[in-house]
Amino acid sequence: MNRWTQTPDAEAEDILDHASDFRLFLAAAHHPEAPDETWWSVLIELADVSIETFEAAVGAFSADLLIPVAYDPTDRARVFARQPVAIYARQPLIKALNKRSNRFHVVALQLGAITAEKYLDPAALATDLEALFVPEDTVVMAVVDDGIAIAHDLLRKGPEQSRVEHATVFEAQPVAGGHCSVGRAFGRAEIDEVLARSTFNDVLDEDVFYQQTTVVDWAARTVSPVARQASHGTLVAGVAAGHPMRAGCRNRPVICAALPARLVEDTTGVDSLPTLYLAFHILLKQARRFRLPNGQCAPVIFNFSFGNSGGPHDGTGLFSALFEHYFGPEGALAPDQQKAWLTLPAGNINLARLHAVARGRRATTLSLSVQPDDRTPSMVQMWMPTDDTESRPGLVGVQVTAPTGQSGAITSKPGQSMSLVDDQGAEIARLACQYEAGATQRALVTLSVSPTAHLAGRAPLAPAGNWTIKISSSDMIPDEEVHVWIRRDETLPGTRSGGRQAWFSNSDYERFDPFGRPLAVDPPGTDCPIRRSGSLSGFACGASPLVVAAFSEREARVSGYSAAGPLTPRVPGSAPARSGPDLAALGDDSYLMRGVRGAGSRSGSSARMSGTSVAAPRVARYAADMIGEWEAGAADWSRWAVKRAPFYLEGGDDPPRSGAGGVRIDV
Amino acid sequence: MSIFPENAYNAYNAYNAYNAYNAYNAYNAYNAYGAPSNNNGLLSGAFLTTHDGITGAQLDPVGPIRPGAANDVRNLPRLAAGVRAAIYQAELGPTVDVTFEADGDKPQAVLWRRAEEKGRRRAFVYDRMVEMTAPTVEQFQTQMALVSGYAQIRPDRSAEIMTQVSAPLPFYTTIGFIDPARTPYTIELLHAALGFATAVTQRMKYALAVKRPVLFSPQIQPMIATPTHGSLPSGHATEAFLMARLIWKLLAGSGLPQYTENEYWGEMLMRLAARIATNRTVAGVHFPVDSVAGAILGCTLADHVFSQCCGGEWCAASFEGANFDAQHDFDWHQIYSVKGDQMKSSARSGLGTWMQSRPQKADPGFDVPPVLSWLWTKAQGEWRDISLDVE
Repeated sequence: MNRWTQTPDAEAEDILDHASDFRLFLAAAHHPEAPDETWWSVLIELADVSIETFEAAVGAFSADLLIPVAYDPTDRARVFARQPVAIYARQPLIKALNKRSNRFHVVALQLGAITAEKYLDPAALATDLEALFVPEDTVVMAVVDDGIAIAHDLLRKGPEQSRVEHATVFEAQPVAGGHCSVGRAFGRAEIDEVLARSTFNDVLDEDVFYQQTTVVDWAARTVSPVARQASHGTLVAGVAAGHPMRAGCRNRPVICAALPARLVEDTTGVDSLPTLYLAFHILLKQARRFRLPNGQCAPVIFNFSFGNSGGPHDGTGLFSALFEHYFGPEGALAPDQQKAWLTLPAGNINLARLHAVARGRRATTLSLSVQPDDRTPSMVQMWMPTDDTESRPGLVGVQVTAPTGQSGAITSKPGQSMSLVDDQGAEIARLACQYEAGATQRALVTLSVSPTAHLAGRAPLAPAGNWTIKISSSDMIPDEEVHVWIRRDETLPGTRSGGRQAWFSNSDYERFDPFGRPLAVDPPGTDCPIRRSGSLSGFACGASPLVVAAFSEREARVSGYSAAGPLTPRVPGSAPARSGPDLAALGDDSYLMRGVRGAGSRSGSSARMSGTSVAAPRVARYAADMIGEWEAGAADWSRWAVKRAPFYLEGGDDPPRSGAGGVRIDV
Repeated sequence: MSIFPENAYNAYNAYNAYNAYNAYNAYNAYNAYGAPSNNNGLLSGAFLTTHDGITGAQLDPVGPIRPGAANDVRNLPRLAAGVRAAIYQAELGPTVDVTFEADGDKPQAVLWRRAEEKGRRRAFVYDRMVEMTAPTVEQFQTQMALVSGYAQIRPDRSAEIMTQVSAPLPFYTTIGFIDPARTPYTIELLHAALGFATAVTQRMKYALAVKRPVLFSPQIQPMIATPTHGSLPSGHATEAFLMARLIWKLLAGSGLPQYTENEYWGEMLMRLAARIATNRTVAGVHFPVDSVAGAILGCTLADHVFSQCCGGEWCAASFEGANFDAQHDFDWHQIYSVKGDQMKSSARSGLGTWMQSRPQKADPGFDVPPVLSWLWTKAQGEWRDISLDVE
């Protein structure tokens, strides 16, 4: 019979990040052959030391560490008060780093995803990046996504001339003498050369191109989504930066990074964070190569069309810090003063029932429906009110009752943890509290639940069904809130991760209005703790990026799934860092004809995709036309854009859902 | 009872069953061609009473009747399509023979081409047209990685795979303007070639007896039923490349600049053939190397059919499975060049030469069978641009 117990790890109190620790444990259980041999992408945050110093400090683990060559000698020598760094590491090192008492100056850690060793190249050599001199009106388009069809004619300026100046493909086998620690990178010359080699009778054979570039390698089971008829990254890149080949576009060079498909399959949210950081680091360096005739760097627009539901949602999360880390006033790139904007989707989880709020002293009960046949863990984050002095440990009590009836409880005192173990003593769920220091300064209670199924039936498996989470506090003031998030965990079409999304199934959640239409906003006066409000993607919480909601054109309404603000205020009653998206762009032709048409994986083909992730690149495209001239910030521009090309939305202003309003952008 | 058994194009259905070309049932528009169905007991009864009612006393004599035009192609258009189809098979079938040579550990299937012995009537010699040896079991095991890799895009390709189980002629109509109303003889020619190729391919498969992927792993789980015949050469690849190349010969033979100047139609036909062949690997019923062997066989048979219809050169080719690098995927560009409509002279891997081909001069004394010549001429005429006739 299952029972709650102290977390089996004797040093559980010292764990820096419990979700990462739980996942490492799961990986070891599911792949018991050689858990120490597995490489992971990991995002660490260093405090007051350089990468060099860190590397020297972990010298004893040098065989378990790969610091990507994308961090050049200058990067490695710089010291920041806090600096996120993406590394690849194996379990012995990760375990050593994931301790509050670690002596390696690591103050935060986020486990990414398992990375096949064949994609890593410890012998990769850094290379000097040569400047590219470009016309005055050039704006660099930087796209980070999965499966970007770089040979697509919308990204070419001639039959054998690409507009893609750089492409990093994380999931491709490195070549000897390469300059990538993970995957492969292609410059335009190489792309053009392969284009020429793959062209027969003037007709490009794209199957041959992607096999030649090893983006698709059937035997190695490296199958980029570009092998399929439709791929997310291709459609997104096409909307953001596609131009007819015959137009010979020369002022919108493209740089891109294709995230590992497997990583995208395993949509446990911030799992992508380490690779995402690395992708941005690589693309930022590439973007700085583009020099205008006046010697300055050409402006650059970044688009990242992914969302997640984890993170503190108050503007202080690791992803929110990304843009500020590079482009903020104290950022890593400040001396170069390259103008850069980032477009992000608001997220698509408005109606997904992944977000709940517990307020004040009233006890809140959440029913967490964990699905059967869910082959990936389910993770819940409970973010406590801001506590910048760590003076309120144990402010909130959290009790979890498994579907099998056993209850375990902890308080929000960092270091506390309880584990549910099965009759063999194997941990199948963990309830733990940790303190997120740095800019966040909030206690975080996590509930990690093992998969409910495994193809080979390997334990530990958690019971599917309704888990009850009870949150109570006798000390919270009425305006204080605990925000609860279930991490994304679902199988995307065409992928095989086997995740099934858990959701809050409280019976008082109202889905429909009196006419049977789905309710896109929380009904007034509802007592239900499950909230659409504040469902904005965890990535979209920074102040600087342009956050884009989606609207449906025919109905002239914000699409039902399009996530809403506002963010959690840092101090009760104060203004949040962001009240919602900045603006809304086309995400659906109509409620019935969902999505918009865009580029399919092969030249000349089209595909239909829906969501805020297709709305964001539309704004990126428009922003590229303006960034060069625009003196003020991106948010300021978005308000202007809405006035300049308005798309009137029914129901009037709704800042939490559509920001400044709808914008009409023809592509 | 059937009064006019060969009347309608329905007879094609019997032919279809024989060749399993049931996809062609989509072409039942053909039925419009025929008279109303006579396979009808009621109609026969009515004919009988009509006869009784109006025949009257026997007339004698009814007048002079000339004998039929013996062995004359002018009869052909008056025959039911199914009858013609049988005649084409009677012409094409005997032009080849298949033998099997167990040469140590490299058993070889040989497709021979018949030629008349000089100076003697009805005495034949045979030239080697296709020599084929299978890869080793180890090579197929290596190829399993590709088969399981391709399985990942099954959901994406399922519509194609399901509609290509039978000979996928309808897919070619999306590139060449082929339609029963517009190009009936082109369709007839293609079917004649396919029927001929099916027999040849099955005989080659039988000789080499290569096991299917499903026998190499329980995890391939093909998304369609695995055919009971051997895996190499791929029948779909053979047929797909045979059709592509014959259609391309017709288009190029029209002399129309849209076809001949850039040869884009040829390129697209070959890409289509390659996709059809690859879809069988995606489905889990073929190894990529099966498509390599099939493409070589299909391209060679296209030259053979053409030379039987029109005279001129034919092609001899060989595939040596053991020399194919099993790590490699199928790439038709290594086998055939649209420019000049020629098979590549050789293709090598690190293991040696796995494919060779060489054009062969036609026998000086070879007389093109009039039936096949007639068929090709009729088909070729369908690709004439009528607007040029006006000028």
